[in-house]
Amino acid sequence: MEQTIHTLTLLAVLAPLVGSIIVGLLCMRIPKIIAHSITISGVAISFLCSCYIFDMIVLQGYPAVNFIAYDWVTSGSFNLDMGFLVDQLTSVMFLVVTFVSLLVHIYSVGYMAEDSGYARFFSYMSLFTFSMLLLVGANNLIQLFFGWEGVGLVSYLLIGFWYQKDSAANGSFKAFLVNRVGDFAFLLGMAAILDYFGTINYAQIFAQAPTMAATTINIFPHSPWLVVTVICILLFIGAMGKSAQIPLHVWLPESMEGPTPISALIHAATMVTAGVFMIARMSPLFELSDVALSLVLVIGATTALFTGLIAIVQTDIKRIIAYSTMSQLGYMVAANGASAFSAGIFHLLTHACFKALLFLAAGSVIIAMHHEQDIFKMGNLKKYIPTTYVTFLIGALALTAIPPFAGFYSKDAIIEAVSLSTIPGATYSYFCLLLGAFVTGVYTFRLIFVVFHGEEKMSNSLRQVLHESPKTVRFPLIILAIPSVIIGAVLAKPMVYTMMGLLGNSVYVASSHDVAAELAADFPGTFAIIFSGFLHAPFWFAAAGIFVSWYCYVKHPSLPVQVVEKASWAYKACVNKLGFDAFNNIIFVHGLKKFSDFLYYVTDVKWIDGWVVAGSGNGIVRISNLAKKLQSGYLYHYAFAMILGLFGLLIWLLVF
Amino acid sequence: MQTLPVFSAASAEILTGIMICVTLLAQTFLGDKVKQIAYYLVQISLVAAFILLARELYDPAIITFSGMFDDDAFSRLLKLSICAVSFFVFLYSREYITEKNMPSGEYYILGLSSILGMLVLVSSYNFLTLFMGLELFSLPVYAMVALQRKSVINTEAAMKYFIVGAIGSGMLLYGISMFYGATQSLNFADVAKVVADSSAPQSMLLVFALVFVVSGVAFKLGAVPFHMWVPDVYDGAPTAVTLFISSAPKIAAMAMALRIFVDALPGLVLQWQPILIVLAIFSMALGNIVAIAQSNIKRMLAYSSIAHIGYALLGVIAATDEGYSTAIFYIISYAIMTSGAFGLLTVMSRNGVEIENIADLQGLSDRNPWLAFMMLLVIFSMAGIPPFVGFMAKVAVLEALISVHLVWLAALALLFAIIGVYYYIRVIKVMYFDSSKAKQQAVNLPLDKNIAISVNGLAVLVLGIFPGSLFGLCLSVVHTGF
Amino acid sequence: MNILVPLVFYAFAAILVAASVMVIVSRNPVRGALFLILAFFCSAVLWLLLEAEFLALALIFVYVGAVMTLFLFVVMMLNIDKLPDQEGFVKFLPIGVLVMAVLVGLMIMVIGPHHFSLNTFASHQMHSSDYSNVAEVGDTLYTQYVMPFELAGMMLLVAIISSISLAHRVRRPNTRTQDIPTQIATHSEDQLIFANVDEKSDPFANVKIKKTKKRGRK
Repeated sequence: MEQTIHTLTLLAVLAPLVGSIIVGLLCMRIPKIIAHSITISGVAISFLCSCYIFDMIVLQGYPAVNFIAYDWVTSGSFNLDMGFLVDQLTSVMFLVVTFVSLLVHIYSVGYMAEDSGYARFFSYMSLFTFSMLLLVGANNLIQLFFGWEGVGLVSYLLIGFWYQKDSAANGSFKAFLVNRVGDFAFLLGMAAILDYFGTINYAQIFAQAPTMAATTINIFPHSPWLVVTVICILLFIGAMGKSAQIPLHVWLPESMEGPTPISALIHAATMVTAGVFMIARMSPLFELSDVALSLVLVIGATTALFTGLIAIVQTDIKRIIAYSTMSQLGYMVAANGASAFSAGIFHLLTHACFKALLFLAAGSVIIAMHHEQDIFKMGNLKKYIPTTYVTFLIGALALTAIPPFAGFYSKDAIIEAVSLSTIPGATYSYFCLLLGAFVTGVYTFRLIFVVFHGEEKMSNSLRQVLHESPKTVRFPLIILAIPSVIIGAVLAKPMVYTMMGLLGNSVYVASSHDVAAELAADFPGTFAIIFSGFLHAPFWFAAAGIFVSWYCYVKHPSLPVQVVEKASWAYKACVNKLGFDAFNNIIFVHGLKKFSDFLYYVTDVKWIDGWVVAGSGNGIVRISNLAKKLQSGYLYHYAFAMILGLFGLLIWLLVF
Repeated sequence: MQTLPVFSAASAEILTGIMICVTLLAQTFLGDKVKQIAYYLVQISLVAAFILLARELYDPAIITFSGMFDDDAFSRLLKLSICAVSFFVFLYSREYITEKNMPSGEYYILGLSSILGMLVLVSSYNFLTLFMGLELFSLPVYAMVALQRKSVINTEAAMKYFIVGAIGSGMLLYGISMFYGATQSLNFADVAKVVADSSAPQSMLLVFALVFVVSGVAFKLGAVPFHMWVPDVYDGAPTAVTLFISSAPKIAAMAMALRIFVDALPGLVLQWQPILIVLAIFSMALGNIVAIAQSNIKRMLAYSSIAHIGYALLGVIAATDEGYSTAIFYIISYAIMTSGAFGLLTVMSRNGVEIENIADLQGLSDRNPWLAFMMLLVIFSMAGIPPFVGFMAKVAVLEALISVHLVWLAALALLFAIIGVYYYIRVIKVMYFDSSKAKQQAVNLPLDKNIAISVNGLAVLVLGIFPGSLFGLCLSVVHTGF
Repeated sequence: MNILVPLVFYAFAAILVAASVMVIVSRNPVRGALFLILAFFCSAVLWLLLEAEFLALALIFVYVGAVMTLFLFVVMMLNIDKLPDQEGFVKFLPIGVLVMAVLVGLMIMVIGPHHFSLNTFASHQMHSSDYSNVAEVGDTLYTQYVMPFELAGMMLLVAIISSISLAHRVRRPNTRTQDIPTQIATHSEDQLIFANVDEKSDPFANVKIKKTKKRGRK
């Protein structure tokens, strides 16, 4: 059995890589149909394997499998292996990643049909799938980091896929830079783990974790910190970069410059959840540090509320969904902070389905509108693209957490869990998340009402050619709509409301933080919760949000304009993304530019280049030319040099 | 009662010896009828020797021929690499030899004799066999350098090599005679025993002897200040011969160093360690710095080889099992890289073109992108850029140094490696970014050369990404072998 | 052990050192070679003192009889009277002398009686009269030292191959060499050609071509 899982894991991880390499190497020479057949079959194999692994590990409850595929580097006592830890958490992630990836692959056949970089696109996507699987399947931090950087790289490549566009190139650049900040902290965290634990293998780290709980480190003189706190905060900064948490969230909106399938796959469903996954994976460490958990909770809740606020004033369809992604990621991170890891992963799962659905549907709208993304140039599209409308609506309801749609179960569980949590900052976070539910309702349905209802604001010529998207585009929408409706009801009980849950012991919760157990104790049953859901505060907040947006955008369309005039400061603040970009611009970009100008013109050009580099370079060349003269070509010089060498050594060793 | 030696222990050597005679006869009597017969016979014997050695790689060690010959995993691994590298060397050289009208039979036969010497040297367990092996491996090389008789440069290089080589051998021999005087034995085990429990007055004699032996070894390795022959010979010899000199002999010389220092003189570790440190520092410094000023690519690679020897010695300096294994790993990977680099120069020196200067590679990326790419792999690897094997090898030796607390030496080595990157990158720049002034025609190679070059170049990459297996092999032979 | 043995030893050892110095110093190569012969001869005598008769004789036969004779032939044929003055000989002399002096000093320091006194080594055993040096050498050579011995054989083979390949010249067409069998087996019509002297054609051009063809066939 174990052997089967070994093989299947390797197959699942390597199949997309093989597809990617083949298509990537031959991308200039092969027709489109072959390019997508190869990559889609790679991912399909991967998906089937994942299903089987999920069935084995999660449903049938086989014990977790931890194995080494290849002994990569041995260096002294330190072993670096390519290994996989296949437990419940990994199996769930495998399934999510391959499922969404497969659908997005299929969707792209239609979406990218006219693009000149067709094969390149598929190769990148498969490479992304491989990296993501490497990330979630790893049994050690280094391999996780490989996957982490791998997905970062592919994300960079794909945001800048249309590299001829300045905005795309800049967006990819920004994403790369912001992620570097997080990665730097992540690397430091890994180094700290290696230093204190002497290993980067999960199993060994977790085994040692309890003994390290009380170890302290002096970062500044006389202020001892718990080592685990330092490590967890560093790791979390890494997660903030990847999962777009305030203040490292600024790259995600820019990443919407990439093709829409990529936004769905990478920047909504999978890659951005890597941070959430990593925190859950490292739960045995996080659980040892209340400070780190608090930070995680507060940052997550803050992100959930404030990025939602920004979403209300956006006009670009993809950017609205992007901000909503950040907001939802905030929920997941907050769940982790409240030690409700299962709820966080559950929301990750449901979110992957409905957010991918929303993005792909948005992509469908964009195709229909001939690459127009401004929502105020659309309107009443439900008449022209009904399938898209229905699926989009399902996704929106799930996102707004209306029972019985998938998002309801997960989001409700998170808000409940945070309300039960007792760590510092829990109350603040609870209110943030509740308000977040309201805000979600507002921006989501603003989008629906403006795009699909109301007057038709597009040009006449465009209206003539408006039609539903091709089959390959619609098919994934329908497929994704199904789990967006039912997956919450199916998985809510086993995943969150059971004592050990679906994730079993792959995540660790300290007994003092065990909100999940309290949740489970109160659980009234899958269907009963739907009705009790109507009585919960989150539902009323969401419903209020929907009502507000209906009132503003359908009933009294003039109202928003008045609001903007009256409360122009708030509007401006939101349009300016609450000042994060400006802050970054002034402090980091301009400040740094001044500083780096100084560094460049004075220290670099003058001192380092002028004196050290050119100086040493010239010096070395001069020495080199001098030393070259030693090689005179005369035999007796050579012989004499040898004798002198011998002589020197003798004198040195015998006389001194 | 004298028992017969275990001949099977030396099966590869015996096979090679027989094949030298067979090839000689075949070349003499069938040379006109069967084209390239010497080439094929020599290649067959290398493959056969390789198979023989590979089959018994993990067999227990046998010391036989009156304790003169040590057939252990260490020697088998190094012999395997010598055979494999030489196979590629001969493969690359064939067209070059034919086109330059060099006596082809002699080239292969002398080459095979030299390989026989190396095999014996690697397996030697006695100063006598060691010296015989050394001479047998050097003597044919002197002749090979001068094979192109009409060329004055070749003859001059051969002459210099021969005379300086005689001085080097003389030093080694003098040192050995001193050891014999001090220990009354030539056998490594006996010498080691006497050295280990030698009293204070004896040790001065031992140090005296040691300095001479180290000088002899350093000469063969081409370490500063016994390096003067290297640039002249590399430059002066026909490229095919340079290719031969630069690859397998380095492995053999490193094996000689390990045999002497680890098998025979472990008791003098506190004495040879500082000497080797000095030699290594000078080699790395001089090799990397002087290479910058070279415009001739063969000379540049010669200096690069001096520097690389310095790095390989770092592994020996660490004087731990891990260190020795990294030295072996380094020298094997270096042999792969250098055979790739000189192999490329050899196969490109065709149709009257001789690749002499770095500038001759101008625009190679347009003329044959695949070759240029292979050269890029090899050069990057030599420069020690990840993920190539050269990087892994450098990391390994530096780590071995750090684990014995020679951090300053590791830092120094790193500094020189950084200086070294400059001249390697220049080659790449010339290949990829300088367009050739004269419109040169595309470079096309026969299929077997293409395959060999690709295997060689990709090996540099693959071994760099997956160094585990080779590294484990090096470590295990050190654990079992010494 | 009588007085004669040390006397012979010191006498010949002194001559040996002196001869060796002269080999290096002597400007005339012929004289240098002769001094080398003297040095070989003296070391042969020293070997005789150790009852290594076979080695002593082999040294004289091989080196004096064969190698040095060849050396002399070559040197005389080249007709080098005196080596030219080495450039920089004087310039490098002081430092050379200094280095040599220190080296020799170190050697004496190390190789003194301290390490190589007679006490440290077992004194030489005289053999009985039926002892055969040849048999003894042969015995060890073919048993204990069979491997180095075979290798030495291999090395000689390599030496032969290399020297032949370096010295042997493949005869190229159009090189003018003497072809004795052809000369002997010549016919009168080859030697004398009757030709009409034509202004346009040069009859001797044909001659050359004809002869070249013949050699080419050989």
